[in-house]
Amino acid sequence: MKKLALYSIFTLIVGFGANAQDCETLVKDCENILKGKEKNFVSDGQVYTAFLDREKAEFKTTFFGGTTYRIAATAGTDDEYVIFTVKDMQGTVLFTNRKYKNSSYWDFKVPRTIPVIIETELDMDKKITGCAVMMIGFKR
Amino acid sequence: MISSCGSEEEKKPEISKEVIDPNSSLNAKFDDKIFSIPSPMQMAMLLEESKSPYNEFLLNDLDKVGDYTSEYKKAMNLGIYGTDLGYVSIYKQNSIALKYLSTIEKLTSKLGLEGAFDKDFMTRFEKNSTNKDSMMVIVSDAFKKSDNFLKSNNRKSVSALILVGGWIESMYLACNINKAHANQKILDRIAEQTETLNTIIELLTDYNKKGESDELIKDMKDLKFYFDQITINYEYMEPITNVQKKTTTLRHKTIVTVDSSTLNFINQKIEAIRAKVIE
Repeated sequence: MKKLALYSIFTLIVGFGANAQDCETLVKDCENILKGKEKNFVSDGQVYTAFLDREKAEFKTTFFGGTTYRIAATAGTDDEYVIFTVKDMQGTVLFTNRKYKNSSYWDFKVPRTIPVIIETELDMDKKITGCAVMMIGFKR
Repeated sequence: MISSCGSEEEKKPEISKEVIDPNSSLNAKFDDKIFSIPSPMQMAMLLEESKSPYNEFLLNDLDKVGDYTSEYKKAMNLGIYGTDLGYVSIYKQNSIALKYLSTIEKLTSKLGLEGAFDKDFMTRFEKNSTNKDSMMVIVSDAFKKSDNFLKSNNRKSVSALILVGGWIESMYLACNINKAHANQKILDRIAEQTETLNTIIELLTDYNKKGESDELIKDMKDLKFYFDQITINYEYMEPITNVQKKTTTLRHKTIVTVDSSTLNFINQKIEAIRAKVIE
Protein backbone atom coordinates (compact mmCIF):
# COMPACT_ATOMS: atom_id res chain seq x y z
CA MET A 1 0.00 0.00 0.00
CA LYS A 2 2.85 2.31 0.98
CA LYS A 3 4.58 1.50 -2.33
CA LEU A 4 1.41 2.24 -4.24
CA ALA A 5 1.01 5.60 -2.50
CA LEU A 6 4.62 6.55 -3.28
CA TYR A 7 4.17 5.45 -6.89
CA SER A 8 1.03 7.54 -7.12
CA ILE A 9 2.74 10.65 -5.74
CA PHE A 10 5.63 10.15 -8.18
CA THR A 11 3.21 9.68 -11.09
CA LEU A 12 1.31 12.77 -10.05
CA ILE A 13 4.40 14.97 -9.87
CA VAL A 14 5.90 13.64 -13.11
CA GLY A 15 2.47 13.77 -14.75
CA PHE A 16 1.90 17.41 -13.80
CA GLY A 17 5.37 18.31 -15.11
CA ALA A 18 4.83 16.47 -18.38
CA ASN A 19 1.39 18.00 -18.87
CA ALA A 20 2.68 21.52 -18.25
CA GLN A 21 5.50 20.89 -20.73
CA ASP A 22 3.09 19.48 -23.33
CA CYS A 23 0.90 22.53 -22.97
CA GLU A 24 3.85 24.90 -23.38
CA THR A 25 4.87 23.28 -26.69
CA LEU A 26 1.30 23.43 -27.92
CA VAL A 27 1.00 27.14 -27.13
CA LYS A 28 3.64 27.88 -29.78
CA ASP A 29 1.87 25.63 -32.32
CA CYS A 30 -1.45 27.28 -31.58
CA GLU A 31 0.08 30.75 -32.05
CA ASN A 32 1.24 29.73 -35.52
CA ILE A 33 -2.19 28.37 -36.41
CA LEU A 34 -3.84 31.58 -35.19
CA LYS A 35 -1.53 33.83 -37.16
CA GLY A 36 -1.76 31.74 -40.35
CA LYS A 37 0.25 32.41 -43.51
CA GLU A 38 -1.02 35.95 -43.92
CA LYS A 39 -0.36 36.86 -40.30
CA ASN A 40 -3.35 39.17 -40.20
CA PHE A 41 -4.99 38.04 -36.97
CA VAL A 42 -4.31 39.71 -33.65
CA SER A 43 -4.60 37.63 -30.48
CA ASP A 44 -7.14 38.67 -27.84
CA GLY A 45 -4.17 38.49 -25.43
CA GLN A 46 -5.31 35.30 -23.69
CA VAL A 47 -4.24 31.66 -23.83
CA TYR A 48 -6.89 29.07 -23.07
CA THR A 49 -5.11 25.95 -21.85
CA ALA A 50 -6.39 22.80 -20.21
CA PHE A 51 -5.99 19.14 -19.69
CA LEU A 52 -8.97 17.46 -21.31
CA ASP A 53 -10.13 14.07 -20.22
CA ARG A 54 -13.41 12.74 -21.61
CA GLU A 55 -15.12 15.95 -20.62
CA LYS A 56 -16.36 18.94 -22.54
CA ALA A 57 -15.18 22.35 -21.49
CA GLU A 58 -17.07 25.51 -22.29
CA PHE A 59 -16.74 29.22 -21.86
CA LYS A 60 -18.56 32.35 -22.93
CA THR A 61 -17.20 35.23 -24.93
CA THR A 62 -18.54 38.03 -27.08
CA PHE A 63 -17.91 38.42 -30.79
CA PHE A 64 -18.29 42.09 -31.65
CA GLY A 65 -20.02 43.23 -34.84
CA GLY A 66 -17.94 44.27 -37.84
CA THR A 67 -15.11 41.91 -36.93
CA THR A 68 -13.73 38.67 -38.36
CA TYR A 69 -12.59 36.29 -35.62
CA ARG A 70 -10.41 33.21 -35.81
CA ILE A 71 -10.58 30.34 -33.36
CA ALA A 72 -7.46 28.15 -33.34
CA ALA A 73 -7.06 24.97 -31.32
CA THR A 74 -4.56 22.16 -31.02
CA ALA A 75 -3.83 19.14 -28.88
CA GLY A 76 -0.91 17.82 -30.95
CA THR A 77 0.65 18.21 -34.37
CA ASP A 78 0.15 14.65 -35.65
CA ASP A 79 -3.58 14.98 -36.19
CA GLU A 80 -6.57 17.28 -35.62
CA TYR A 81 -7.65 16.22 -32.15
CA VAL A 82 -9.75 19.12 -30.89
CA ILE A 83 -13.44 19.53 -31.62
CA PHE A 84 -14.81 23.00 -31.01
CA THR A 85 -18.39 24.09 -31.26
CA VAL A 86 -19.75 27.64 -31.23
CA LYS A 87 -23.29 28.13 -29.92
CA ASP A 88 -25.50 31.15 -29.34
CA MET A 89 -26.75 31.83 -25.81
CA GLN A 90 -29.90 29.78 -26.54
CA GLY A 91 -27.70 26.78 -27.22
CA THR A 92 -28.24 26.72 -30.99
CA VAL A 93 -25.15 25.43 -32.77
CA LEU A 94 -23.72 28.09 -35.10
CA PHE A 95 -20.68 26.06 -36.11
CA THR A 96 -18.75 22.92 -35.25
CA ASN A 97 -15.42 21.90 -36.77
CA ARG A 98 -16.49 18.28 -36.27
CA LYS A 99 -18.17 18.57 -39.69
CA TYR A 100 -14.88 19.69 -41.26
CA LYS A 101 -12.38 17.02 -40.14
CA ASN A 102 -11.78 18.87 -36.85
CA SER A 103 -10.09 21.73 -38.71
CA SER A 104 -7.54 23.33 -36.38
CA TYR A 105 -8.87 26.81 -37.14
CA TRP A 106 -11.97 28.50 -38.45
CA ASP A 107 -12.86 32.11 -39.23
CA PHE A 108 -16.12 33.82 -38.30
CA LYS A 109 -17.41 36.92 -40.03
CA VAL A 110 -19.58 38.70 -37.48
CA PRO A 111 -21.71 41.53 -38.88
CA ARG A 112 -23.58 42.06 -35.57
CA THR A 113 -22.41 41.53 -32.02
CA ILE A 114 -23.26 38.19 -30.45
CA PRO A 115 -22.36 36.58 -27.12
CA VAL A 116 -21.38 32.97 -27.76
CA ILE A 117 -20.62 29.78 -25.92
CA ILE A 118 -17.50 27.92 -27.09
CA GLU A 119 -17.45 24.24 -26.28
CA THR A 120 -14.23 22.22 -26.54
CA GLU A 121 -13.54 18.50 -26.37
CA LEU A 122 -11.05 15.95 -27.62
CA ASP A 123 -12.04 13.68 -30.49
CA MET A 124 -12.30 10.42 -28.56
CA ASP A 125 -11.59 8.37 -31.70
CA LYS A 126 -8.14 9.98 -31.89
CA LYS A 127 -7.11 10.95 -28.37
CA ILE A 128 -8.70 10.31 -25.03
CA THR A 129 -6.66 12.52 -22.80
CA GLY A 130 -4.16 15.38 -23.10
CA CYS A 131 -3.48 19.06 -23.09
CA ALA A 132 -5.49 21.29 -25.40
CA VAL A 133 -4.72 24.89 -26.24
CA MET A 134 -7.10 27.37 -27.81
CA MET A 135 -6.60 30.95 -28.94
CA ILE A 136 -8.95 33.58 -30.30
CA GLY A 137 -7.87 36.35 -32.62
CA PHE A 138 -9.49 39.15 -34.59
CA LYS A 139 -8.58 40.32 -38.09
CA ARG A 140 -6.66 43.55 -38.49
CA MET B 1 -11.98 20.52 -18.95
CA ILE B 2 -10.13 23.56 -20.03
CA SER B 3 -9.20 26.86 -18.55
CA SER B 4 -8.23 30.37 -19.22
CA CYS B 5 -8.47 31.41 -15.61
CA GLY B 6 -9.71 29.19 -12.87
CA SER B 7 -10.01 28.82 -9.18
CA GLU B 8 -7.39 26.28 -8.17
CA GLU B 9 -4.24 28.32 -8.43
CA GLU B 10 -3.38 28.66 -4.78
CA LYS B 11 -4.21 25.03 -3.93
CA LYS B 12 -1.52 22.43 -3.62
CA PRO B 13 -2.11 19.40 -5.82
CA GLU B 14 -4.04 16.68 -4.07
CA ILE B 15 -3.84 13.03 -4.92
CA SER B 16 -7.14 12.26 -6.51
CA LYS B 17 -8.90 8.89 -6.25
CA GLU B 18 -8.39 8.42 -9.98
CA VAL B 19 -4.60 8.71 -9.63
CA ILE B 20 -4.46 6.36 -6.68
CA ASP B 21 -6.53 3.93 -8.71
CA PRO B 22 -3.92 2.33 -11.05
CA ASN B 23 -6.66 1.44 -13.54
CA SER B 24 -7.57 5.05 -14.04
CA SER B 25 -5.97 7.52 -16.43
CA LEU B 26 -4.07 10.46 -15.02
CA ASN B 27 -6.77 13.07 -15.27
CA ALA B 28 -5.02 15.93 -13.54
CA LYS B 29 -7.30 18.91 -13.83
CA PHE B 30 -5.46 22.19 -14.24
CA ASP B 31 -8.58 24.12 -13.57
CA ASP B 32 -12.31 23.98 -13.62
CA LYS B 33 -13.42 27.09 -15.43
CA ILE B 34 -12.51 29.11 -18.48
CA PHE B 35 -13.01 32.85 -18.65
CA SER B 36 -12.67 35.01 -21.73
CA ILE B 37 -12.58 38.80 -21.75
CA PRO B 38 -12.58 40.49 -25.17
CA SER B 39 -9.38 42.37 -26.02
CA PRO B 40 -9.35 46.05 -24.96
CA MET B 41 -7.46 46.64 -28.19
CA GLN B 42 -10.70 46.13 -30.10
CA MET B 43 -12.31 49.03 -28.22
CA ALA B 44 -9.32 51.26 -29.04
CA MET B 45 -9.64 50.22 -32.70
CA LEU B 46 -13.33 51.13 -32.70
CA LEU B 47 -12.60 54.55 -31.17
CA GLU B 48 -10.07 55.28 -33.88
CA GLU B 49 -12.28 53.91 -36.69
CA SER B 50 -15.17 56.08 -35.55
CA LYS B 51 -12.93 59.14 -35.96
CA SER B 52 -13.13 60.05 -32.30
CA PRO B 53 -10.48 62.63 -31.51
CA TYR B 54 -7.55 61.46 -29.42
CA ASN B 55 -7.79 62.63 -25.81
CA GLU B 56 -4.62 62.40 -23.73
CA PHE B 57 -6.37 63.67 -20.61
CA LEU B 58 -8.31 60.41 -20.29
CA LEU B 59 -5.17 58.34 -19.72
CA ASN B 60 -4.01 57.25 -16.29
CA ASP B 61 -1.24 59.45 -14.91
CA LEU B 62 2.17 57.81 -15.32
CA ASP B 63 3.46 59.31 -12.09
CA LYS B 64 0.98 57.25 -10.10
CA VAL B 65 2.85 54.02 -10.83
CA GLY B 66 4.89 54.34 -7.63
CA ASP B 67 1.68 54.39 -5.55
CA TYR B 68 0.73 50.89 -6.62
CA THR B 69 2.47 48.74 -4.03
CA SER B 70 0.20 45.71 -3.53
CA GLU B 71 0.10 42.90 -6.11
CA TYR B 72 -3.62 43.60 -6.52
CA LYS B 73 -3.06 47.28 -7.41
CA LYS B 74 -0.08 46.49 -9.62
CA ALA B 75 -2.00 43.91 -11.63
CA MET B 76 -5.16 46.02 -12.02
CA ASN B 77 -3.15 49.04 -13.10
CA LEU B 78 -1.03 47.00 -15.48
CA GLY B 79 -4.33 46.27 -17.24
CA ILE B 80 -5.20 49.99 -17.12
CA TYR B 81 -1.82 51.12 -18.50
CA GLY B 82 -1.86 48.30 -21.06
CA THR B 83 -5.15 49.56 -22.48
CA ASP B 84 -3.79 53.11 -22.48
CA LEU B 85 -0.74 51.87 -24.37
CA GLY B 86 -3.02 50.23 -26.95
CA TYR B 87 -5.03 53.45 -27.25
CA VAL B 88 -2.01 55.75 -27.76
CA SER B 89 -0.40 53.24 -30.15
CA ILE B 90 -3.48 53.07 -32.36
CA TYR B 91 -3.54 56.87 -32.47
CA LYS B 92 0.22 56.82 -33.34
CA GLN B 93 1.23 58.90 -30.33
CA ASN B 94 4.71 57.40 -30.46
CA SER B 95 6.54 59.47 -27.85
CA ILE B 96 3.71 59.00 -25.33
CA ALA B 97 3.54 55.29 -26.18
CA LEU B 98 7.20 54.92 -25.23
CA LYS B 99 6.54 56.59 -21.86
CA TYR B 100 3.63 54.21 -21.17
CA LEU B 101 5.81 51.34 -22.22
CA SER B 102 8.50 52.35 -19.76
CA THR B 103 5.87 52.48 -16.96
CA ILE B 104 4.50 49.10 -17.97
CA GLU B 105 8.04 47.71 -17.83
CA LYS B 106 8.34 48.90 -14.22
CA LEU B 107 5.06 47.23 -13.27
CA THR B 108 5.80 43.99 -15.09
CA SER B 109 9.19 43.81 -13.44
CA LYS B 110 7.59 44.22 -10.00
CA LEU B 111 5.12 41.48 -10.91
CA GLY B 112 7.91 39.15 -12.09
CA LEU B 113 6.80 39.35 -15.72
CA GLU B 114 9.99 40.67 -17.33
CA GLY B 115 9.91 37.89 -19.93
CA ALA B 116 6.85 39.30 -21.70
CA PHE B 117 8.26 42.80 -22.10
CA ASP B 118 11.87 41.85 -22.77
CA LYS B 119 14.56 43.39 -25.00
CA ASP B 120 13.14 41.67 -28.07
CA PHE B 121 9.75 43.24 -27.37
CA MET B 122 11.28 46.70 -26.87
CA THR B 123 13.22 46.44 -30.13
CA ARG B 124 10.12 45.33 -32.05
CA PHE B 125 8.11 48.13 -30.44
CA GLU B 126 10.62 50.87 -31.28
CA LYS B 127 11.17 49.59 -34.84
CA ASN B 128 7.45 49.53 -35.60
CA SER B 129 6.31 52.58 -33.66
CA THR B 130 4.97 54.29 -36.78
CA ASN B 131 2.85 51.35 -37.89
CA LYS B 132 -0.34 51.07 -35.82
CA ASP B 133 -1.16 47.57 -37.12
CA SER B 134 2.23 46.24 -36.09
CA MET B 135 2.02 48.01 -32.73
CA MET B 136 -1.35 46.36 -32.08
CA VAL B 137 0.13 42.92 -32.79
CA ILE B 138 3.23 43.57 -30.67
CA VAL B 139 1.27 44.82 -27.64
CA SER B 140 -1.27 41.97 -27.91
CA ASP B 141 1.55 39.42 -28.19
CA ALA B 142 3.24 40.80 -25.07
CA PHE B 143 0.02 40.58 -23.05
CA LYS B 144 -0.62 37.07 -24.39
CA LYS B 145 2.89 36.08 -23.32
CA SER B 146 2.36 37.43 -19.81
CA ASP B 147 -1.09 35.77 -19.62
CA ASN B 148 0.44 32.42 -20.57
CA PHE B 149 3.34 32.87 -18.15
CA LEU B 150 1.03 33.70 -15.23
CA LYS B 151 -1.36 30.85 -15.99
CA SER B 152 1.39 28.27 -16.32
CA ASN B 153 2.97 29.47 -13.08
CA ASN B 154 -0.14 29.15 -10.95
CA ARG B 155 -0.71 32.90 -10.82
CA LYS B 156 -4.06 32.95 -12.57
CA SER B 157 -5.50 35.46 -10.12
CA VAL B 158 -2.93 38.05 -11.27
CA SER B 159 -3.79 37.30 -14.89
CA ALA B 160 -7.48 37.80 -14.06
CA LEU B 161 -6.86 41.20 -12.44
CA ILE B 162 -4.86 42.43 -15.46
CA LEU B 163 -7.79 41.48 -17.73
CA VAL B 164 -10.33 43.20 -15.45
CA GLY B 165 -8.20 46.37 -15.24
CA GLY B 166 -7.94 46.39 -19.04
CA TRP B 167 -11.70 46.09 -19.41
CA ILE B 168 -12.42 48.90 -16.93
CA GLU B 169 -10.08 51.25 -18.79
CA SER B 170 -11.51 50.39 -22.20
CA MET B 171 -15.02 51.10 -20.88
CA TYR B 172 -13.82 54.33 -19.27
CA LEU B 173 -12.31 55.52 -22.56
CA ALA B 174 -15.40 54.55 -24.56
CA CYS B 175 -17.88 56.14 -22.11
CA ASN B 176 -15.98 59.42 -21.93
CA ILE B 177 -15.33 59.67 -25.65
CA ASN B 178 -18.99 58.91 -26.37
CA LYS B 179 -20.05 61.54 -23.83
CA ALA B 180 -17.95 64.17 -25.60
CA HIS B 181 -18.69 63.05 -29.18
CA ALA B 182 -21.80 60.86 -29.29
CA ASN B 183 -21.35 58.01 -31.71
CA GLN B 184 -23.83 55.19 -32.33
CA LYS B 185 -21.17 52.52 -32.84
CA ILE B 186 -19.42 53.37 -29.58
CA LEU B 187 -22.74 53.52 -27.74
CA ASP B 188 -23.70 50.08 -29.10
CA ARG B 189 -20.31 48.68 -28.08
CA ILE B 190 -20.78 49.97 -24.52
CA ALA B 191 -24.26 48.45 -24.37
CA GLU B 192 -23.01 45.10 -25.70
CA GLN B 193 -20.84 44.41 -22.63
CA THR B 194 -23.49 42.65 -20.53
CA GLU B 195 -22.09 39.14 -20.97
CA THR B 196 -18.51 40.34 -20.44
CA LEU B 197 -19.59 42.02 -17.21
CA ASN B 198 -21.21 38.77 -16.05
CA THR B 199 -17.94 36.96 -16.79
CA ILE B 200 -15.95 39.61 -14.89
CA ILE B 201 -18.15 39.24 -11.79
CA GLU B 202 -17.74 35.46 -11.93
CA LEU B 203 -13.99 35.74 -12.51
CA LEU B 204 -13.43 38.18 -9.62
CA THR B 205 -15.58 36.08 -7.31
CA ASP B 206 -13.66 32.90 -8.15
CA TYR B 207 -10.34 34.57 -7.29
CA ASN B 208 -11.45 36.48 -4.26
CA LYS B 209 -9.95 34.08 -1.71
CA LYS B 210 -8.47 36.88 0.40
CA GLY B 211 -11.42 39.25 0.01
CA GLU B 212 -9.36 41.91 -1.82
CA SER B 213 -11.99 42.22 -4.52
CA ASP B 214 -15.01 42.50 -2.20
CA GLU B 215 -15.60 46.17 -2.94
CA LEU B 216 -14.93 45.81 -6.66
CA ILE B 217 -17.35 42.88 -6.92
CA LYS B 218 -20.02 44.94 -5.16
CA ASP B 219 -19.38 47.83 -7.56
CA MET B 220 -19.53 45.50 -10.56
CA LYS B 221 -22.83 44.07 -9.32
CA ASP B 222 -24.19 47.62 -9.02
CA LEU B 223 -23.01 48.23 -12.58
CA LYS B 224 -24.76 45.04 -13.67
CA PHE B 225 -28.05 46.44 -12.33
CA TYR B 226 -27.83 49.16 -15.01
CA PHE B 227 -26.68 46.77 -17.72
CA ASP B 228 -29.71 44.63 -16.97
CA GLN B 229 -31.91 47.59 -18.02
CA ILE B 230 -30.54 47.27 -21.57
CA THR B 231 -32.70 45.16 -23.87
CA ILE B 232 -31.17 43.08 -26.61
CA ASN B 233 -33.55 41.36 -29.01
CA TYR B 234 -31.88 38.48 -30.75
CA GLU B 235 -33.19 36.53 -33.72
CA TYR B 236 -31.35 33.46 -34.95
CA MET B 237 -30.69 33.07 -38.66
CA GLU B 238 -28.75 30.15 -40.06
CA PRO B 239 -25.08 31.04 -40.68
CA ILE B 240 -23.48 30.45 -44.09
CA THR B 241 -20.28 28.43 -44.26
CA ASN B 242 -17.66 28.58 -47.00
CA VAL B 243 -15.67 25.37 -46.59
CA GLN B 244 -12.88 26.32 -49.01
CA LYS B 245 -12.21 29.56 -47.16
CA LYS B 246 -12.81 27.96 -43.76
CA THR B 247 -15.14 30.81 -42.95
CA THR B 248 -18.60 30.99 -41.42
CA THR B 249 -20.63 34.17 -41.73
CA LEU B 250 -23.11 34.73 -38.92
CA ARG B 251 -26.44 36.21 -40.00
CA HIS B 252 -28.44 36.72 -36.80
CA LYS B 253 -30.34 39.94 -36.13
CA THR B 254 -30.01 41.94 -32.94
CA ILE B 255 -31.59 45.16 -31.76
CA VAL B 256 -30.01 46.88 -28.75
CA THR B 257 -32.13 49.37 -26.82
CA VAL B 258 -30.62 51.57 -24.14
CA ASP B 259 -32.10 54.80 -22.83
CA SER B 260 -30.00 57.86 -22.08
CA SER B 261 -30.52 57.78 -18.29
CA THR B 262 -29.25 54.16 -18.13
CA LEU B 263 -26.25 55.17 -20.19
CA ASN B 264 -25.58 58.09 -17.83
CA PHE B 265 -25.68 55.78 -14.81
CA ILE B 266 -23.27 53.38 -16.57
CA ASN B 267 -20.91 56.29 -17.34
CA GLN B 268 -20.96 57.46 -13.73
CA LYS B 269 -20.47 53.99 -12.30
CA ILE B 270 -17.58 53.18 -14.64
CA GLU B 271 -15.95 56.48 -13.74
CA ALA B 272 -16.32 55.76 -10.01
CA ILE B 273 -14.95 52.20 -10.34
CA ARG B 274 -11.98 53.36 -12.38
CA ALA B 275 -11.25 56.18 -9.89
CA LYS B 276 -10.97 53.60 -7.06
CA VAL B 277 -8.69 51.35 -9.12
CA ILE B 278 -6.23 54.09 -10.08
CA GLU B 279 -6.19 55.97 -6.76
